[in-house]
Amino acid sequence: MAPPPIVQQKSSSPSQPSGKSEVSDLKLQLRQLAGSRAPGADDSKRDLFKRVISYMTVGIDVSAAFSEMVMCSATSDIVLKKMCYLYVGNYARCHPDLALLTINFLQKDCRDVDPMIRGLALRSLCSLRVPNLVEYLVSPLSSGLEDGSPYVRMVAVLGVLKLYHISATTCFDSDFPASLKNLMLTDSDAQVVANCLFVLQEIWNLEANKSEEANRERETLLSKQTIYYLLNRIKEFNEWAQCLILELISKYIPSDSNDIFDIMNLLEDRLQHANGAVVLATIKVFLHLTMSMTDVHQQVYERLKAPLLTLVGSGSSEQSYAVLSHLHLLVMRAPMLFSSDYKHFYCQFSDPSYIKKLKLEMLTAIANESNTYEIVTELCEYAGNVDVPIARESIRAVGKIALQQYDVNAIVDRLLQFLEMEKDYVTAETLVLVKDLLRKYPQWSHDCIAVVGNISSKNVQEPKAKAALIWMLGEYSKDMPDAPYILENLIENWDDENAAEVRLHLLTAAMKCFLKRPPETQKALGAALAAGVADSHQDVHDRALLYYRLLQYDVSVAERVVNPPKQAVSVFADLQSSEVKDRIFDEFNTLSVVYQKPSYMFTDKEHRGPFEFSEEIGNLSLDQESMDNAPRFDESDKDLLLGTSEREENGGTSINGAATPGYSAPHDYNSSLVPLSSQTQSEPAVTSQTSFAIDDLLGLSMLAAPEPPSLKLNSKAALDPGTFQRKWGQLGVSISQEIPISPQGVGSLTTPQALIRHMQANSIHCIASGGQSPNFKFFLFAQKDDGSASFFLVECIVNTSSAKAQVKVKADDASASEAFFALFQSALSKFGM
Amino acid sequence: MAGAVSALFLLDIKGRVLIWRDYRGDVSAVQAERFFTKLIEKEVDPESHSPVAIDDGISYMFIQHSNVFLMTAARQNCNAASILLFLHRVVDVFKHYFEELEEESLRDNFVVVYELLDEMMDFGYPQYTEAKILSEFIKTDAYRMEVAQRPPMAVTNAVSWRSEGIRYKKNEVFLDVIESVNILVNSNGQIIRSDVVGALKMRTYLSGMPECKLGLNDRVLLEAQGQTTKGKAIDLDDIKFHQCVRLARFENDRTISFIPPDGAFDLMTYRLSTQVKPPIWVEAQVEKHSRSRIEITIKARSQFKERSTATNVEIELPVPSDATNPNIRTSMGSASYAPENDALVWKIKSFPGGKEYMCRAEFNLPSITAEDATSEKKAPIRVKFEIPYFTISGIQVLLYLTTFSGLYNLNGSCHHASIAQVRYLKIIEKSAYQALPWVRYITRAGEYELRLI
Repeated sequence: MAPPPIVQQKSSSPSQPSGKSEVSDLKLQLRQLAGSRAPGADDSKRDLFKRVISYMTVGIDVSAAFSEMVMCSATSDIVLKKMCYLYVGNYARCHPDLALLTINFLQKDCRDVDPMIRGLALRSLCSLRVPNLVEYLVSPLSSGLEDGSPYVRMVAVLGVLKLYHISATTCFDSDFPASLKNLMLTDSDAQVVANCLFVLQEIWNLEANKSEEANRERETLLSKQTIYYLLNRIKEFNEWAQCLILELISKYIPSDSNDIFDIMNLLEDRLQHANGAVVLATIKVFLHLTMSMTDVHQQVYERLKAPLLTLVGSGSSEQSYAVLSHLHLLVMRAPMLFSSDYKHFYCQFSDPSYIKKLKLEMLTAIANESNTYEIVTELCEYAGNVDVPIARESIRAVGKIALQQYDVNAIVDRLLQFLEMEKDYVTAETLVLVKDLLRKYPQWSHDCIAVVGNISSKNVQEPKAKAALIWMLGEYSKDMPDAPYILENLIENWDDENAAEVRLHLLTAAMKCFLKRPPETQKALGAALAAGVADSHQDVHDRALLYYRLLQYDVSVAERVVNPPKQAVSVFADLQSSEVKDRIFDEFNTLSVVYQKPSYMFTDKEHRGPFEFSEEIGNLSLDQESMDNAPRFDESDKDLLLGTSEREENGGTSINGAATPGYSAPHDYNSSLVPLSSQTQSEPAVTSQTSFAIDDLLGLSMLAAPEPPSLKLNSKAALDPGTFQRKWGQLGVSISQEIPISPQGVGSLTTPQALIRHMQANSIHCIASGGQSPNFKFFLFAQKDDGSASFFLVECIVNTSSAKAQVKVKADDASASEAFFALFQSALSKFGM
Repeated sequence: MAGAVSALFLLDIKGRVLIWRDYRGDVSAVQAERFFTKLIEKEVDPESHSPVAIDDGISYMFIQHSNVFLMTAARQNCNAASILLFLHRVVDVFKHYFEELEEESLRDNFVVVYELLDEMMDFGYPQYTEAKILSEFIKTDAYRMEVAQRPPMAVTNAVSWRSEGIRYKKNEVFLDVIESVNILVNSNGQIIRSDVVGALKMRTYLSGMPECKLGLNDRVLLEAQGQTTKGKAIDLDDIKFHQCVRLARFENDRTISFIPPDGAFDLMTYRLSTQVKPPIWVEAQVEKHSRSRIEITIKARSQFKERSTATNVEIELPVPSDATNPNIRTSMGSASYAPENDALVWKIKSFPGGKEYMCRAEFNLPSITAEDATSEKKAPIRVKFEIPYFTISGIQVLLYLTTFSGLYNLNGSCHHASIAQVRYLKIIEKSAYQALPWVRYITRAGEYELRLI
């Protein structure tokens, strides 16, 4: 039987079908061919199948031909089979009833003589993703894992993971994880081993907070035995699998320093691998292994520099970006180690702006006495860049360098030159910077004011820049002869000013100016207050009214509020807490580094995956246990970063000694930040006093009558962190409430330890704590003293600035939680007394 | 941890999905398309997107190749560097199959594309990405195997990048030593940054499982071998090797030994940060005569030995965007005004060492200019060139080849003019055959920028 001629006609024209007629046409032809054994029938089928696949790809629904496709798939032709699997895989999920049709032939193919077909059929079978078909998966998977062909085993291993995602219970009931573990440690084929590791990691990480056994299994993946086994075979693996193994090793906790050096020696050559991903993964291992060894850690940084810089320079710009993000992280952690490499971070004209941006940040970070001149010269080149956002960034970078250096002489000159470039955006950025600079180095006011005075306010349109200019006009109105008149001009155009920020500053500046030069400003101030009180913006209205009443009450009080003596800012607050930075460093070689955010900020819970399982507890350092066996990096890092804080101290402008920039916990950076306007600066003093008083009242009224404790707690209760985590995951919240903390309590809470000791005296024990002022977080537990081994778990988040504690209680015995909470509250209320 | 990706998309230039593979079923094509078209609409210049972006809890990573975007979507916290590299590897594989990867070639080959995507990644985890190995899995028409089915070889083989049983009638090896010079010169004529990135690109057409060896005049390497280094040795800052090179062996005795993959690959890349003399030096003077006329004088000087010659030299100098009526004269080559780039482009086909050429150009400027529209572009002068038979680093290239039957000196194809020489390349193969090696040396401009005043 020859194939119908119509087929040839059709197949030669790959025209886009528009309607259902084509699909039914295809169906008809497929049906005619289904039983055909004629020579050439397979070829015709191939053409037809290809057309079906093309339709499917361009988005035409060809699911109507399902049964015909299945009928035609009874063939030994592997190309036809592949296309058929593809088709089935695509439509099975939305047509589960039809998928049932395919089970039979897929199962049959899983027993084919050709390993290719066995593998492909098994992959398709596992990819159907139809829950009610799982029972058919188990036996092909079991035999697949024992297949003689590594290709089939490789497919079967990932099949287990697919099964797990459809039905975890079926997966565990069939004991697949155990088989995989066995396979991982014995299989001769590297890819099979790698896939086992992929699967086991994913399964145990997802299960870890559900059962203790899973947690244990997860730990065994990190056992010395497994790690060494994989290390010894690492050269057999392909590059992607090597990345996976290196990632696993980076979480391994070495037993001693010999262990560390053995691993590093073994992996040293990986740094020369052409695949950048392997190099980065190796770097992660080195960084994490040496965390507890300060000097070696520093040497590691030195060793890593060359490979990283090469990776940045070679390969695609996407790749450079990924590598540069990591380099950025390292540079930010230890800027002085890179200070001599600054030329590598110079921007090329052709660099995409996302790369330029990273480079600018790095140049800013590594600027020190030895290279500042070169770096600032280079940055000034970018200020006239075609790419305006980058030009802006460069100016900001110059400013940041000025703020972190003590010899700013030359830099100030450069900045003032920017103002003479007469480009709007350059002027705007520079004004904002000059303002910040004056807040830190008031001694420069004379030079700056001379130049700023020449700027016509008409050329400044951006609200931020305009606000900065107005602030300077108010602050230095004594030294700027024109200040009252410029302000007057601006006030005349009050209604044209859209940004509330600018209007607020205008009010304050008018006040300041008035207090210094009353006769010249009186009229302008009057106009400003009138316009302000009539303003539709609430804040502007309120501020105008406040000033008006202050002046009415007593001008000298107004003076004290608006124009108090100012402290120079020593350090501007760092936006990211050191805790967040450490989390990102923990997640080296993942997206976290690119986003500069820890993963819990951008992934949903179920996709968080590995080692994030302890999303709450993980933030905090587990008290003793983990401290002992997990060498963390605080110490080593502080040493590494010592230079930064030293630099700051040498600066001599540092007023607040405790506020060091960067990575050492900025305990009281709040206090070192002086807000932009003097008005807001002095107000907090007032408001915080009143709020304290109010809090005090509240606190007393709430704490005055603590309920008599009716519950007895075991003073020697003990709970290991693992059990705590598990319980925390299992139990529901029985009480969640906010309770106030007495001002004395707030005063005593300088370190978490103070509260921990206090609670311990009340038989409530701490298992983990962390945070820094004003936010502290504690995980506590207590046990009933009636031999019932019933535990209470508490999460307590204390905010000292609002003097509140957010308390969550979970209990084995939920009925007793009210009584416990009363006890807890009374204990907390006595803190600091 | 290296998380798994959810799906891989191939999109056209407008961000529409051409074809995609769903690995985990938790990201839909609609979501991805919506994200990507939004991204494209937002920015004018497609080059300026960061290749990693997050939208609605899904991380997208993408690269562009001709008129196609390759993009992965993931809900887990993936290894960004490895995924981006993987995408580039996918491009290589597609190019191997379709000659060129573009929208058309994808549309013509849906079935092969699906097959490849299935074998390169399973459930979001990367698997095999070597084109040669993949061809064992891929069974579509063009690659139909006439021979009896046998299990794929990669998996029975210790060498995952090469199959057994490869036979060539004529055994050949091509080795290109390509060095890119990156130079940044500031407006005062000072070199503020210079480095050289080199690559040894090989194409091998060798039978069986040949053992190759390569020697270099890297100082560390020569000293490790106990050889004297009489000033000919160079200092390579960092070397990276293709996965076929036995790194452990290199660490021990600095021998570069390997069984090469079949076909083209980069054997080695290296970097040198010692300052080099820029091969082509350019000085430009831009004079504005009155408001309506601008006069540009460019001097280009070749600073390498006379026996070498730079080819395809191209010097691009920015001019104001409103310049008109160019009047250009050159002492060599031809120069023209390229208004689309706001640049004067001077091309010199052949530029021997130790020479200096001039180019003068005059432009008219509109006498009336909008006051604030004169945003001066501070683009640098950019230079392109190639210098064959020359390596700027002085890396030494002498080529030897051994087969089973002995050692052959094979520096045949190229010993003139090259300072740079790979010392020897031994090829050891059990079935003795002779291979023809071809070596080329090229130095070319990488990021080569000279800033104007």
